[in-house]
Amino acid sequence: MTHARWQRQLSAYVDGELTPHEAEEVQAHLAQCESCQVELDRLQSLKSLLGRLPERTVPETLWMSIRAQLDRPQQSWIAKVEQWLQGVVRRPALAAAALALVAILVAIPLVRGRLERLRAAELGPDLYIREHALASASDPFLDRAYLGLLISDASLALVGTPREETEESR
Amino acid sequence: MMRTLIPAIWLATTLAVPGLRAVASASLPSARDVVASMAAAPALVDYEATKVLTAVHQDRAETITVLESYKRLGRLRLEFLSPESVSGRLVIDDGVSVWQYEPSQHLVIHGPSFVHPAEGPERVEEFLRSALIAVLGTEDVIGRQTVVLAMETHDAGPSRRYWVDRETGVILRTEERDARGEVVFTSFFTRISFGLNLPSALFRFTPPSGARAIDLYESGDPVSSPEALRQASGAWVPTTLPFGYRFRMGAVVHHGALTSTSASYTDGVRTLTVFVTASSQMAFPQVGVPVTMESGPARLLDVGYFRVLMWQAGGATYALAATLSPSRLLLVASALPQRP
Repeated sequence: MTHARWQRQLSAYVDGELTPHEAEEVQAHLAQCESCQVELDRLQSLKSLLGRLPERTVPETLWMSIRAQLDRPQQSWIAKVEQWLQGVVRRPALAAAALALVAILVAIPLVRGRLERLRAAELGPDLYIREHALASASDPFLDRAYLGLLISDASLALVGTPREETEESR
Repeated sequence: MMRTLIPAIWLATTLAVPGLRAVASASLPSARDVVASMAAAPALVDYEATKVLTAVHQDRAETITVLESYKRLGRLRLEFLSPESVSGRLVIDDGVSVWQYEPSQHLVIHGPSFVHPAEGPERVEEFLRSALIAVLGTEDVIGRQTVVLAMETHDAGPSRRYWVDRETGVILRTEERDARGEVVFTSFFTRISFGLNLPSALFRFTPPSGARAIDLYESGDPVSSPEALRQASGAWVPTTLPFGYRFRMGAVVHHGALTSTSASYTDGVRTLTVFVTASSQMAFPQVGVPVTMESGPARLLDVGYFRVLMWQAGGATYALAATLSPSRLLLVASALPQRP
């Protein structure tokens, strides 16, 4: 048995819950294990401390209220919603927060869609230029260097880093 | 009668433009031969060069200097030198995917390849059918003899002029003008070294240690008909559009939460792309300048070289991207049937 397991047995030993055989084993272990002896002393003093605490009786009203809850019929979901709404009306800040959350959840896809459409409007012409330049490569007498410039410029714009025009190129 | 008359008038007008008059020469190659050599060049030669690009948009022009290296078949390395805003940018297309390194942000972006290997004879024929093409003469560019080729679509839209290296078929100089004749784009090599075999390591990207890496593959599997696109995305686009544009391919494009349907059209030379995005996914973009369409307000974004027209109809945002003038974009947009 591991040491950790001996320590778990100690609590049952103090409460007298072990079989005689198990109790003998624990006693044999305690005779040769100082740390378990210390733990046993601690558990025994704790038990003695708890034993000295005064007993308190449960108030009769508590039992009555529990019984009343148990006897009450199940509420329908409509009643639950009504109850929730009444709670919400009583707490306007909570209601406002819930409404704001719903509005945000509805607005996120709409805003994202609008942003994507605007972003597409920025990229669309560059996509057209690149694809047209690539299609124009079928013309064998078109200048390849200029085609390379158009395609590479449009590719740069598509990846979000368009070429800056300098005064030199004006 | 008219079919033969229009190219003749166009050629006469083109040759009559001051400063672009070329001496007719019996030794000039045919337009077909020049286009074929341009189409075949990516399979024949490697080069390492310095190029200057100038693109005009709205009231300003931007000039870019770039070191350009090309290796057969379809591998490209671009190191941008100036202006300051692109200086140090590295773009490597290994023929399968493209890697972009942005040193100022220590950022790597990985996406689909935009370099195609050499084109076959069918594509050359398509070019010859779709555009008015004429050899204007010869000119020296950075000490090399070039053939000057003029190309314009049948609807008298933007025109291009190429200075094609006679020996290799590589385009050494390009100029594009809008329908009013204003130059909108030029590119030219200031030096070029041709090689038969540039080292492969030059076209292999090794991410710098600690760099943030982002994958940008936005397009889904391509579909080859408007009907298949409708089944994939619910968006309806027509088979043809004004100015001879025919449906080429479509895809559903995703970027994060944004999903759009793209449909690419070609007139045999140029590309036009229609995008349809549900308005529930995207607010109306506020970039570019406001323009008015019959269906309501629209916006026009001038990227330089091409423009994007955007408008809303039937619960969707439509966008048209093409190298077309604003008036032509509006014409195409008004002919595009809206989502039922």
